[in-house]
Amino acid sequence: MAEDFDKWTRIFLLLWLFPLILLSSCVSHLNDAKLYYIQAQEFSNSYNTEEAIASYKKSLEEIKKEVDRRPSSQAFMLKGLIELNLDQWEGAEQSFLMAFSYGFEKGQEWAEWSSLFGLASSLQEMGLESSASQIYEHLISKSKLRPLTILSAQKYTDIALKNVLGAEGKDREKRLAGLLRTVQNLSRKDLSCGYFHYLVSQVLSHLGEYRKCFDEAVMAKELGLPSEEILRDNDLQIVFCYERLKEKLPTAEWEAFQTLYMGWIERWNWSGPQTPAWKER
Amino acid sequence: MKNEMTKSSIFAMIMADQKQKMLTKKKAIEDIVQDGIQFIAQFLPKAAYLYFPLLSAAAVWAIKRSKAWKEKILSWNVWADPSAVRVKSDEYVLNFFKKNPNLRTAFQKEIKTENITSLRRSFLSLYPIIGLEDPFLSALFYQEMEEKNYRKIVEKFNGRVTKAVQDIEALDEKPEFLEGLESIAKELALLTSDIATQKSVQKVLAEVIKKEMAKKNG
Repeated sequence: MAEDFDKWTRIFLLLWLFPLILLSSCVSHLNDAKLYYIQAQEFSNSYNTEEAIASYKKSLEEIKKEVDRRPSSQAFMLKGLIELNLDQWEGAEQSFLMAFSYGFEKGQEWAEWSSLFGLASSLQEMGLESSASQIYEHLISKSKLRPLTILSAQKYTDIALKNVLGAEGKDREKRLAGLLRTVQNLSRKDLSCGYFHYLVSQVLSHLGEYRKCFDEAVMAKELGLPSEEILRDNDLQIVFCYERLKEKLPTAEWEAFQTLYMGWIERWNWSGPQTPAWKER
Repeated sequence: MKNEMTKSSIFAMIMADQKQKMLTKKKAIEDIVQDGIQFIAQFLPKAAYLYFPLLSAAAVWAIKRSKAWKEKILSWNVWADPSAVRVKSDEYVLNFFKKNPNLRTAFQKEIKTENITSLRRSFLSLYPIIGLEDPFLSALFYQEMEEKNYRKIVEKFNGRVTKAVQDIEALDEKPEFLEGLESIAKELALLTSDIATQKSVQKVLAEVIKKEMAKKNG
C-alpha cells in the first residue's frame, strides 16, 4: 500500500514537475542570455574585450536555445545584438529581420545597417576600398548601433590614412583635414569612447601636431581602449609624442610639458618616460 | 673574528638554501614543460615549432591576466596585423628604427637614405614583435631575435605566421586542448610569477624547451 502511494506520488510529482522544469528552463535560457549579455556589456564598457567576447559567446548559446523553443521579437533582437558584437553580420541581419517580423519596429533599420556593414567588408576584401569607404562613412553618420559605429570608424580611418600615405602636398593636407573633422565629430558625439580619442590621436600624429596628439592619446588611455594591443600601441604613441616634443618645443614650453608628463607617468606607474608599465613585464 | 665566522657561515647557509630552492624550482619548471610538450604533441604532432610559442604565450598571459589568457592564445594572430600598424606615419616608422640601437645598425642603409617604403615593409613584421612585444610572435621568432637577425624575421614573417595560423586554427574545435593548456599555463605561472619581465620568462622557457626537445629527438 505504502509502495503504491510512493509510486503514485512520484508519478504525480513528475507530471507536475516536468512541465515546470521545461518552463523554467525556457525562462532561464532568455534570462541567462540577458545576464551573460549584461556581463559582456560591462566587460566591454571597461574595455576588457577578451572577457566580453567569452560572455557574448555564452549569451549566444543561450539565446539560440530560446529562439528554437520560444521565438519572440525580444529573443531575436537580443540574438542580433549578440551577433553584432561577435562580428557575425549576416546572422545579425537575419535576426533583426526576424525580430521585425515578430513586431520589433526598429528591426528592419538595424538589419539594413548590419547588411550595409557586411557589404562594405566584402567590398573592402575585394579591393574596392573607395566604395567600402563611402558605406563606412554613411554608417558613421547614420548608425545608432555603437559596435557598428566603432567598427565603421576604424575601417574608414584605416582606408583614409592609407590614402594619405600615398598622397603629397595639398592633396595630403586636404585629406588629413577632412579625416580629422570626421573623427573629431565622432569623438565629440561620444566623448566617453576612448577608441575615438585614439583615432583622433592617430590622425594628429600624421599632421605632426604632437602636443594635441599627446592630449588625445592620454584621454584614450584614461577612458580605456578595446584591446591590449591597441592600448600598447597608444602607449608607444605617447612615448613618440614625448620624444618629438623634446626635440621641437622651446625650452620653457618643454619644461612645462615635462612636468605634466612626469605627473601622468607617475599615475600610470611607468618606471621612466619611455618605459610603459607593460614593457617591464 | 668569531662574529665574522658566524656571519659568513650564515651567509653560506642562506646561499646554499637559495641555490637548493632554485634547483628545485628549475626541476619543477622542467617537469611541467615536459608534460606540456607531451600534451601539445598529442594535438600538434607535426608542429614542434609551435611548442615554445604556445607554452611561452600561455605562461606570459597567465601571469599577466589569468582570466583573459584563453582568448589571448587564440586571438594572438590579430597582433600580427593590427590595422594601425599599416597606417603609421612616416616619421613614426623612421623613429622606430632610429631609436632602437640594434635596428639602427641593422637598417643603417635604409635609415640613412630614408627609404620609407623599405622600412615600412620591415616595420609591419618588426613592430608587433619589438614594439608591441606580442608574447606569441616574439616566441615564434625567438631564435632570430636572439641572433639579432631582423632581416630574417622580415623575410620569414608572412610564411611562418600563415603556417602557425593554419595549424592553430585547427585547435579552435578542440576545447580539451585549451583546458589542458590552461592547467599547464597556471602551473608555469605560479613558478615564473616572480620573474620580472616577459623576456626573462621566455628565456627560462626557451632553455628548458630546448633541452627537452633535444632529449625527445635524440
